[in-house]
Amino acid sequence: MQHTVRFVLDDKIVEIDFLKVPGLKPSTTVLNYLRSGPLHKGVKESCTEGDCGACTIVVAEPGNNGSLIYKALDSCLVFLPMIHGKQLITVENLALSGKNGNTLHPVQQMMIETNGTQCGYCTPGIVMSLFALFKNHIDPSREVIEDALTGNLCRCTGYEPILEAARKACTDGKDHFSGREKMIFSMLKEITTGRKTLEIQTEKQTYYKPFTLAEALRLRKKNPEAALISGSTDVALRQTKNREFLPLILDISAIDELKTFRESNDNYVFGAGLTLEQVKDITEKRIPSFHKILKIFGSLQIRNIATIGGNIGSASPIGDTLPVLFALGAKIKISSPTLKRIIGIEDFITGYRQTCLRNDELITEVIVPKTPSGVTFGSYKVSKRKDLDISTVTGAFRLKTLEGIVAEIVLAFGGMAAMTKRALKTEEYLEGKKWTRETIQEAMIILNREFDPLSDARAGAEFRKTVAANLLLKFYLETN
Amino acid sequence: MPTNRPHDSARKHVTGESVFINDIPVNDQLLLGKVVFSRYAHARILNIDLSEALKIIGVKAILTATDIPGENQMGPVIHDEPCLAENEVTFIGQAIALIGAENEEAATEAARLIRVDYEPLEAILDLETAMAKNNSIDAERKIERGNADAALEAALYKFDGTLKTGAQEHWYLETQTSLAIPGEGKEMNIFASSQNPSETQTIVAKVLGIQKNEVEVEVKRMGGAFGGKETQGNHVAAWAALLANATRRPVKIHLFRDDDQVMTGKRHRFLSNYEIGFDEKGLILAYKVELNADAGSSADLSLAILSRAMLHAENAYYIPDILIRGNAWKTNHPSNTAFRGFGGPQGMAVIENAIDRIARFLKKDAAEIRYLNFYQKEKNNMTPYGQKVKNNHLLMIYDKLLRSSDYVNRRKEIDRFNKENEFYKKGLSLTPVKFGISFTTAFLNQAGALVNIYTDGTVLVNHGGTEMGQGIHTKIATIASEEFGVSPEMVKVDATNTSRIPNTSATAASSGSDLNGMAVKNAIDILKSRIAEVAVAEFATRFPDDKTLKENIVFENNYLSDKVNPIRKISFPEMLKIAYLKQVSLSSTGFYKTPGIFFDKEKGQGTPFYYYAFGMAVSEVIIDTLTGMHTLIRTDIVHDVGDSLVEGIDLGQIQGGFVQGVGWCTTEEMKWDNDGNQLTHSPDTYKIPTVNDIPRDFRVEILKDVPNPGTIRKSKAVGEPPFMLAFSVWLAIKDAISSVGNHEKEPDFTLPATYEVILLSAEKLRKV
Repeated sequence: MQHTVRFVLDDKIVEIDFLKVPGLKPSTTVLNYLRSGPLHKGVKESCTEGDCGACTIVVAEPGNNGSLIYKALDSCLVFLPMIHGKQLITVENLALSGKNGNTLHPVQQMMIETNGTQCGYCTPGIVMSLFALFKNHIDPSREVIEDALTGNLCRCTGYEPILEAARKACTDGKDHFSGREKMIFSMLKEITTGRKTLEIQTEKQTYYKPFTLAEALRLRKKNPEAALISGSTDVALRQTKNREFLPLILDISAIDELKTFRESNDNYVFGAGLTLEQVKDITEKRIPSFHKILKIFGSLQIRNIATIGGNIGSASPIGDTLPVLFALGAKIKISSPTLKRIIGIEDFITGYRQTCLRNDELITEVIVPKTPSGVTFGSYKVSKRKDLDISTVTGAFRLKTLEGIVAEIVLAFGGMAAMTKRALKTEEYLEGKKWTRETIQEAMIILNREFDPLSDARAGAEFRKTVAANLLLKFYLETN
Repeated sequence: MPTNRPHDSARKHVTGESVFINDIPVNDQLLLGKVVFSRYAHARILNIDLSEALKIIGVKAILTATDIPGENQMGPVIHDEPCLAENEVTFIGQAIALIGAENEEAATEAARLIRVDYEPLEAILDLETAMAKNNSIDAERKIERGNADAALEAALYKFDGTLKTGAQEHWYLETQTSLAIPGEGKEMNIFASSQNPSETQTIVAKVLGIQKNEVEVEVKRMGGAFGGKETQGNHVAAWAALLANATRRPVKIHLFRDDDQVMTGKRHRFLSNYEIGFDEKGLILAYKVELNADAGSSADLSLAILSRAMLHAENAYYIPDILIRGNAWKTNHPSNTAFRGFGGPQGMAVIENAIDRIARFLKKDAAEIRYLNFYQKEKNNMTPYGQKVKNNHLLMIYDKLLRSSDYVNRRKEIDRFNKENEFYKKGLSLTPVKFGISFTTAFLNQAGALVNIYTDGTVLVNHGGTEMGQGIHTKIATIASEEFGVSPEMVKVDATNTSRIPNTSATAASSGSDLNGMAVKNAIDILKSRIAEVAVAEFATRFPDDKTLKENIVFENNYLSDKVNPIRKISFPEMLKIAYLKQVSLSSTGFYKTPGIFFDKEKGQGTPFYYYAFGMAVSEVIIDTLTGMHTLIRTDIVHDVGDSLVEGIDLGQIQGGFVQGVGWCTTEEMKWDNDGNQLTHSPDTYKIPTVNDIPRDFRVEILKDVPNPGTIRKSKAVGEPPFMLAFSVWLAIKDAISSVGNHEKEPDFTLPATYEVILLSAEKLRKV
């Protein structure tokens, strides 16, 4: 067992022994850790819920061939042990110091030249998002730039100059970090050699971070009440927003077995620990209806760390991936130390934020059947703001027609009930009917009455019912 | 020639070196302050039990109203706002107790253990109820010209209507923050995130019961303010000061985002009723409008905001017979406060929507109706309150923008698109802004400055304006370096500090650079005159043949020279050393007051503004009538800033102000439950624009060759006016909805035009 957390910061390996540093606990966020010292105050706290990006930092982790992979994250949602074995890069690290003062990084220089900063409070976060963009893309399109910046709110500039800064800065990806990658890579390897389970016990809090599935399952069985986290984008809010104390945490973010993707003749099999960004990339060509929803899921900072297993496991009524997985007929593979089972997604979700996962089990895989010929999918997310917004209504549909007659139909909705639900009455009505506008008009009337949704901050019940019915019409229009 | 230079803090911002209050290193004595606030919109406080909370280790003080040594009051204009609630709470989020603790955990735990017993009372949570109960802050106000009733009666066409405009959360990225450090004796030093350090000083002195000369307030920069820190930055400062005073330790309060959103005021909701009369061409003959503002629980700046709403009720249009009435109503919400535009947007929205209706009714293009009604140059140029609209650029901007935006062709193209598409609809709209510049409370139009020159030739400028991102320090530094003729790196603008510049007005009403720029120039002129005298004497010794005249001394390119004999020149730093040795003071204050401003509130007449700023925008949107979601395809803006002081800064104000306005008009929806709890108290549910919500194609042009007479370097204020250009987006959305019913029927519409409004309004038209 290892009880300290080690990562690279300012080109040095930092080791944190929680027993020796008062004021730090394992679930201290990277944001609060950085701000507790004098040298990294550039990182800003603004919303502590991953919605504004003022706290954006970049984490580099070992990739293939000695290179590093750079990801922008919201440091307000990341617990310290989650960056164990990684390089933490802050805004203070970007400029290159030299004899004649600092040379700014291209993204910093361009932010100045385009007037991309006014009050400056969001700026360090934006600079870090731009830095990750710089390291990952050469001459990015507007769409890629926007995606990189969706998670960063700016209230002053109106963003236009920041878009310009991104365009002008991201030309070749070469900077002083490029030359130091090998050195950092070997430092990270040094930290992670052995990969012994992190077991951090402080007076009030215990934090486990296993590196194998077997070890994770063992710890899960032993600590059934532990808060289970991977990206922690949901669970961390209990601490940052509800001020809840989490005495016991099981972090399954470092298990390679959960990060695989494979493809068989019949299925796509996603490891539960794949991030939503990874799933987004994998599904681009393979499952476009899934990809479409993931593209507008949260922000890049969130997708970089939130996992597919986590999104399913949280069983939120407005979890964006669930309706699509319903329509796709996905299955969930679950493991306990002794047993493996596969269960249909619809049976897996049992209620408002409830699943049939037992407290000695983990979701290990998400199995998505390949689309049989003749089946069409549609997926739609409706939210108050186009991006970085939780869906008000999500609809995901599956249709098979034979000679114009509906042979198979699935209409799955998020945001219409306490959990993701299919519109079974409407489906029943549609089955065997001609797939025509007239049929759809009738079906819309049934669909409008089928759910009894809430009125809340996002929208009223009337809106939700109307939209749900309209999405069916939209799907019809797209299939014709 | 306008200069272009980046924001003076840009380099520090991008490297993370900029110091905001929460970043200031403080010694290990620092306590964190936490505010315990009301959970009821209206209730009697029966008992406050601190006993359990006081037992928490690390808690150093818990204060309630009875612990306030001075006056329990922080109302900025009317004294109706207790610093801590005593017997009664009047809104959810009202401060009841203050905790000073050594760490966050102790403070949180103590807050949890404080027990407040309430007896709930009836709460007024909407404008309709407040109006029905006649719960007004002050007597109704009126601006009137001619006889609107008679003119309405005589008009060929007329209609009436109601418009609701929504609240808006400032969403400054830096939440309300303050650091109070006790000095010796009664001294209290405050680092504030406040647009109005002098008022912060006043209120801190008042609650502590000490003299103002014991309180020093410093504002280095704010992480955004937008009006939200004009008065309400005072609150955290007062609370931190109370805790610091009680413990004699430094205390910092940095509000948690959700608490900030719950506790602080918003842009005022308005409910406005109007009647408008017009002829067959669309010429407006009469307008009656009644503006009702939701003031929240206390007056704060509501009456001034109402006044500005009334003074902008006719926006850019000449209306011969007009009656504008205004009321501010008390409700049990946090006191609503200043927000970019300061009531102007709420007043203008009504007339812009009414004109849109006229156009639909007459089956004409709304831009045409707007053009027909614009204030003219020679005639029809008098506002309802008796101020002439001078140097009117409306017609010039209209012509320019109509061409550059290709308005006419795009209108045709959109009509074609809408005929061909059943569910996707496009809309187009042109809207103008005429915005009056000056504080409408006349005496506030004053500013002070203190300029120091050091013997190495460097200049330190102090002025009363505060930096919130808008670039006032950059503009002031530009003014100073140009007036002294020295390179920009020789000039530094210091943090705003009440000990250096006393009795300042808030940095608000877009007037920061206008007022402070002039005050700085005044100080520089005094210094230049002194230095020039020394130069004359110096040249007299060096060139005894004929005398250099003082008026021929010029300051440029880091030198002083005699423009008649340019060979006579001395570098600026050398000249200063000489002046110093000659025992000449190298420090001067400066002062400025805007001339000719007055307004009679009783009569609703006067000259409240020094000048007007003009702008216009054309926006095109596409809506999906099946989901209510929209995309902003393109916006073209032409905006007037006089001779721009710093172009990049002005451009940023136009773009940023516009996008903030787009948020108010579209996705920024505030909702409450039936008990008055905010449902939209975090960015999870309250949606300000992201990078994807700005126009796909965004073209902003600063109007050229329009120097503004009588202002600092012929410039114009720019902070607020562009906000209202967002009406072009709002009404383009309405235009798109309207096309569902072939523009034959007036769509249901409100502000913000959320996806819900768009969808339900389009559905209704489709069903007809």
